[in-house]
Amino acid sequence: MSWIALARERPAGSLWPGGRPLVLGFALPALLLVVWQVICLARWLPPYILPSPVAVVERFATELADGRFGQDVWASLSRVLKGFFFGSAAGLAFGLLLGLSRWADRLLGPLFMAYRQIALFAWVPLLSMWFGGGETGKVAFVTLSAFAPVVVNTWRAIRAIPDPLNELGAVLTFNRLDHVSLIALPGALPGIATGLRSAMIYAWLATVGAELFLDIAPGMGGRLNEGRDKFEVDLMLVALVVLTGLGLLFSQAAALIERRLVRWRTR
Amino acid sequence: MSGGRRGTLDEAFRSWPGRAILGLIVPVLLGVVWFVTAQKGWLPEQLLPSPVAVWQALADTAASGDLWTNSLISLTRVGEGFAIGAAVGLILGVVLGLSRRARELVDPLFLLLAQVPPLGLIPLAILALGVDEAMKVAVIAWASFIPVVLNVKQGIGDVPRSLHELAEVLTFDPWYALTRVVLPAAVPPIFTGLREGLANAWQTMVAAELFASTEGLGYMITLGRQLFQFDMVLAVVLVLGVVGLAVNGTLALVERRLLRWQGQAA
Amino acid sequence: MNSHVGNQPAFEAIEFTPALEIDHVSKTFYVAGRNVEVLRNISLSVRPGEFVAIVGASGCGKSTLLRLVLGLDTDYEGDIRLEGERVRRPGLDRGMVFQEHRLLPWLTAAGNVAAALRRSGLPAPERARLVTEHLSLVGLGNFAHAWPAQLSGGMSQRVAIARALVNRPRFLLLDEPLGALDALTRLRLQDELSRIVQRENSTVLLVTHDVDEAVFLADRIVVLQPDPGRVSRIVNIDLDRRNRDRSAPAFLRLRDEVLDVLGVRRTAREAAA
Repeated sequence: MSWIALARERPAGSLWPGGRPLVLGFALPALLLVVWQVICLARWLPPYILPSPVAVVERFATELADGRFGQDVWASLSRVLKGFFFGSAAGLAFGLLLGLSRWADRLLGPLFMAYRQIALFAWVPLLSMWFGGGETGKVAFVTLSAFAPVVVNTWRAIRAIPDPLNELGAVLTFNRLDHVSLIALPGALPGIATGLRSAMIYAWLATVGAELFLDIAPGMGGRLNEGRDKFEVDLMLVALVVLTGLGLLFSQAAALIERRLVRWRTR
Repeated sequence: MSGGRRGTLDEAFRSWPGRAILGLIVPVLLGVVWFVTAQKGWLPEQLLPSPVAVWQALADTAASGDLWTNSLISLTRVGEGFAIGAAVGLILGVVLGLSRRARELVDPLFLLLAQVPPLGLIPLAILALGVDEAMKVAVIAWASFIPVVLNVKQGIGDVPRSLHELAEVLTFDPWYALTRVVLPAAVPPIFTGLREGLANAWQTMVAAELFASTEGLGYMITLGRQLFQFDMVLAVVLVLGVVGLAVNGTLALVERRLLRWQGQAA
Repeated sequence: MNSHVGNQPAFEAIEFTPALEIDHVSKTFYVAGRNVEVLRNISLSVRPGEFVAIVGASGCGKSTLLRLVLGLDTDYEGDIRLEGERVRRPGLDRGMVFQEHRLLPWLTAAGNVAAALRRSGLPAPERARLVTEHLSLVGLGNFAHAWPAQLSGGMSQRVAIARALVNRPRFLLLDEPLGALDALTRLRLQDELSRIVQRENSTVLLVTHDVDEAVFLADRIVVLQPDPGRVSRIVNIDLDRRNRDRSAPAFLRLRDEVLDVLGVRRTAREAAA
């Protein structure tokens, strides 16, 4: 079969494919589930190493019934949201500063770029030193993770506003406030939206990581740890599935928000 | 009003040395503040070790060879994991990019898998593979794999139809068309994927080493923390920044080289 | 060197205060390590209500001159005075239309026009009235709530013109405003521009490379020669601004005269010979 011919069949690009693509999409995961179940039924691997899908679902039901689950999910969610909020707010302010002020760009820009080189998780030990390993420490870490993407995207977006439009502000004798509200912010909005979306995703990843490392308060990451400590793989899988599901929720929510913020582009 | 030349001050700050100096002002100032704070003891040693102590810790680990050994180990891990993840990701990405049927089959599952936090996989990976090298390389490979596939798939899929038709008009066979037309056209997004994959690999390496390792830069940080040697923690964090910069910089250079050879991006 | 003032009687020089006075203006850019002289010793007096066109080849500094008058650039030698006062910064007394419409994509047509009134200090109802009035003036009364992305090039440029006029500026500065449009739209907009300018009685400075456009619209044409930009000649257009016929012999004669100064027609004639 010619690769070129295959390549020509590009999807129409609809969000909900429907019909054959939908069926095909479910085919592979369904197949994997079946294989998994069969492996367990045939006892090729002992159940404590690989619990069957059924066992996982059962465990999920048990955990759900036991009120603690809701607490854990809520704890993780609140951390993500708090960290995202604080981190993005700070990031937006800093990004605006770097974008609007030539001097801030020159004086603070390089320092920020250097900071970005340090892997995010390297800050966990330091943050736990300064803020403790509990709630504050975790939220601090999530805040940090949301900060950088927002700064970068905001900064870039403001710089990317075409010079003619910036000049227009001068011609119409805009003051600082006019310029920011009528030119800089609307013009940078798409980029800012992208930054917020990234921040959301990073915040979630940071939350999971923080909960895995700083395992003191409730949280889904903590459950994952718990499963590992007790060698209960079914619990680990449940936790992982929930984490993945929440992650999916976040990335979709983030994409939706980005789309709404960029509406005027597509008019 | 005087006409002619722009202010020399403005001019100086447009040039490279001028900008470098400006960029260093604030860090140097912060360094001074840090030094003074430590000297006067305004903050406890636990919170903020003195720059001198940090420098000393750095010098010690460098002299003892620990710094180099651990750095090498970390870099090797990233290298191995990234190489595996990127290679597999490239192949899968090309296949998915070219075949709509494959996309329909795999996309939903893949998008779901992409949501699994690599760090969340570590506990499972530990159970499955133990705490040794294989586990870390596997997790790093996974973390690199995902962005590479996504970007390559997108990039190959975005190659304009006109190029495919051109290849057909010139009667290229599929392999030739792939290597001479499609792949070169998709180089920019491929490199975006590689860059993201490397960034992911790096971050995951650090996290994995912090979490479950007996050597590497991340391990040095954990060790420092456990021994309450916060000067060492800070020193290694800074080293991480420098090494990270070097790694990213190298990739950027390679990318620039390749793109220049290929000509302007489509 | 200095302007060739054509047929203007001498007494006019003392009877009016020039609306705009460009006094021995020179401008040099410092680019890539060298000094590039863009304008040399430009002098020009513009009467109130006069329409002056500046024509010349690319690179003769016409746009630069306009930017100096606008106040976007204050780094030059010489003086630019508006009604006796030195120009220091942009002001709402000077409306500017650029070659690209420069409409803010996130504001409607009305929003864009209203943006020019932001600093005007007028109350909201007054501003709304002015916006509606000026959109109608350019024939876009029904498009107040359209987005720039929905407007054609000609319509966008008309919104830009409305935006430039909404403050009832004493001076209208136009930098090749119709250059980006197709020929038919250009002709139509020239008609509209003439009509609008007469109605508002603005003093206009138009930069264009289209000689026909200049002859059609202006009272005087300042011809600049490039490298560096200097006034080559000033040609008076003694035609009634209210009804100029692009095909009339007088029109064509004046057009040819300008083309001669630009050195264009001569070359074509030689080529034909």
